Amino acid sequence: MKRWMTAAMAAMLALGMAAPAHAQFGAGEASAVREDFVLPQGEVRILVFRPEIRVGAQTMGGMHEPNAEWTETAKGNIMAALEAEQAARGTSLVIVPELDGEQGELVADYTALFQTVAGEAFQHKLFPGNRLPSKRHDFDWTLGAETEQLRALGGDYGLFLVTNDSYGSTGRKVLQVLGAVAGVGLVPSGVHMGYAGLVDLRTGHLVWLNGDLQMGGDVRTAEGAQKRVAQLLEEFPLRATGQPAPERAREVTVTGETPAEPKP
Amino acid sequence: MIRRAALLAAAAMLAPLPLAAQDAAPAPATTATPLPSAHGYQPQDELERGLWYEMAEQERLLRQSHFLVDDPALNAYVRGVLCRTVGAERCAATRLYLVRTPFFNASMAPNGAMIVNTGLLLRMRDEAQLAAVLGHEFTHFEQQHSLRLFRNMRTKTDILSIFSLAPIPYAAGMVGQIAILSSVFGFNREMEREADAGSIAELARAGYDPTAASTIWQQLGDEMDATAAERRHRSRRNSNGGLFATHPRTTERMETLAALATQAAASAGAAERRAAEYRSNLHAWWPQLIDDQVRLADFGGTEYLLSTLAGPEPDGWTADLLYARGELYRDRGREGDFASAATFYRQAIDQGGGPEESWRGYGLALLRQGHAAEGRAALRTYLQLKPQAHDAAMLGAMAAEPVT
Repeated sequence: MKRWMTAAMAAMLALGMAAPAHAQFGAGEASAVREDFVLPQGEVRILVFRPEIRVGAQTMGGMHEPNAEWTETAKGNIMAALEAEQAARGTSLVIVPELDGEQGELVADYTALFQTVAGEAFQHKLFPGNRLPSKRHDFDWTLGAETEQLRALGGDYGLFLVTNDSYGSTGRKVLQVLGAVAGVGLVPSGVHMGYAGLVDLRTGHLVWLNGDLQMGGDVRTAEGAQKRVAQLLEEFPLRATGQPAPERAREVTVTGETPAEPKP
Repeated sequence: MIRRAALLAAAAMLAPLPLAAQDAAPAPATTATPLPSAHGYQPQDELERGLWYEMAEQERLLRQSHFLVDDPALNAYVRGVLCRTVGAERCAATRLYLVRTPFFNASMAPNGAMIVNTGLLLRMRDEAQLAAVLGHEFTHFEQQHSLRLFRNMRTKTDILSIFSLAPIPYAAGMVGQIAILSSVFGFNREMEREADAGSIAELARAGYDPTAASTIWQQLGDEMDATAAERRHRSRRNSNGGLFATHPRTTERMETLAALATQAAASAGAAERRAAEYRSNLHAWWPQLIDDQVRLADFGGTEYLLSTLAGPEPDGWTADLLYARGELYRDRGREGDFASAATFYRQAIDQGGGPEESWRGYGLALLRQGHAAEGRAALRTYLQLKPQAHDAAMLGAMAAEPVT
């Protein structure tokens, strides 16, 4: 027990000070769509699972200091931007509510499963370094067909989002400049990573996954969150035949309540 | 520990302070600011708000964890001991979570969420020992150790980052960095000592025997020795972990706690251990706790643990412990183990008051020895006592007389 704690703390110190995620995976972004997958024509209802959004400051020494106010603001901004973005695509979003009991556990289990599977896909296919030969050609990860149970929540697809922001503090930025002046190389300032995925709940297949380890857009502002959401949804699956979206009012509903008023 | 680590890995930085491996600052908070245990306490600054927010997210996940023990009776009992130890008012600021993990540990988050492993419940001899652990964790919470540790680490990593740029000779720089890094861990050990001292004060105030705390470390140290002997490696008991140990070493904790307890005992009135209450409240969970422990495949450590719980007197081997020993030997299954196991189960049955599962183990051990008829009879007795057992169908098939 002592060893674990010691190792963990040493690792935290080391990681915080040196290695942002892109040092592990290489830089940049990656996305994939399951072969031949397109969203059907007509109405598409997408369940939005509780996004995991973390916003804080990066201290001078590189630690992540969580910030409650920024995180709350970012959650509101990102959800608003997401609704606008999906409305433009002609899909209806259904926000998965906070659930108790068995349904709550089911949602928690699938959220965790998605994150695990998405992590595997990133590690073994999308980012260079650990690519598996057996996954070279196919993007065929799945959560299993029992995701069918989740359709009772009111959607045929599940959308999962994760963003993690650590904004460089003044001290960190000063250190960055000093590092450049002293010629010791680049001191990274700030961590901005995020990913999103879509699961077809009829089959459990992960049909689209997109991640970026150096995301743009300051999620603490409405405009920044729009930019962030646009980046998160890059390469989002198209509609069948690529026809323009049907012309009708979009709605966002929360299951368990009466549908919200259609947006003007 | 591993599972808990996974659970909280995302918030590694904010990990609650665990009991058996970690942390205190200079003197306790002396300012007039309210303690987190006060009614209606709210985080006082941006950092504390941030930590609480993050922990609330982790707590949300914990509430949906499949490892959470949701038995209302056991939760009520452990919570009752906490409230008795620290008083109802301060206790109201905490939320208790029992997590099914077969290792000795408990931890406390800055927002009042306390996690207690079932492996800890297995190792406590009496209510006073449990109270000592809960009092220790509560002191972490009330003295805001997580927050202080975070601030301490933030300051020191800031200094380290400057060090990494400063044009100083390499060797001197390294020495400085190591000194600062180890002072983070030293700070951690100070907070552990503070929590240990706090637990003694709580025990004395609540009327529990304050010597209970030091005996916990005695037991844990001996168990580490036994596990190490079995596995033929060095015991971690006396290792101080060097510069980067998060907790004071076990022997030192034991001695300090014993000395503090002697002082406290002199002034305290009642000094209860409440062993019988403890055993009866854990009775329903006993087979489960034993099952989880036996599956660790740590024969030496488990054997030692059971004999510690039994104590030096022969009548200390209660039916619960005899049953546990039977499970341990039957699981190992070496030459002669099934015969030993059958003897222990038989003793548990004869003594009475132990788990009905003794009949199950007795029957299975007899079958493995080739005593088919007696084995089947024992299994049938078990199925009469517990027709709803989860493995009733399989045992029923094994218990049926063969068609001749």
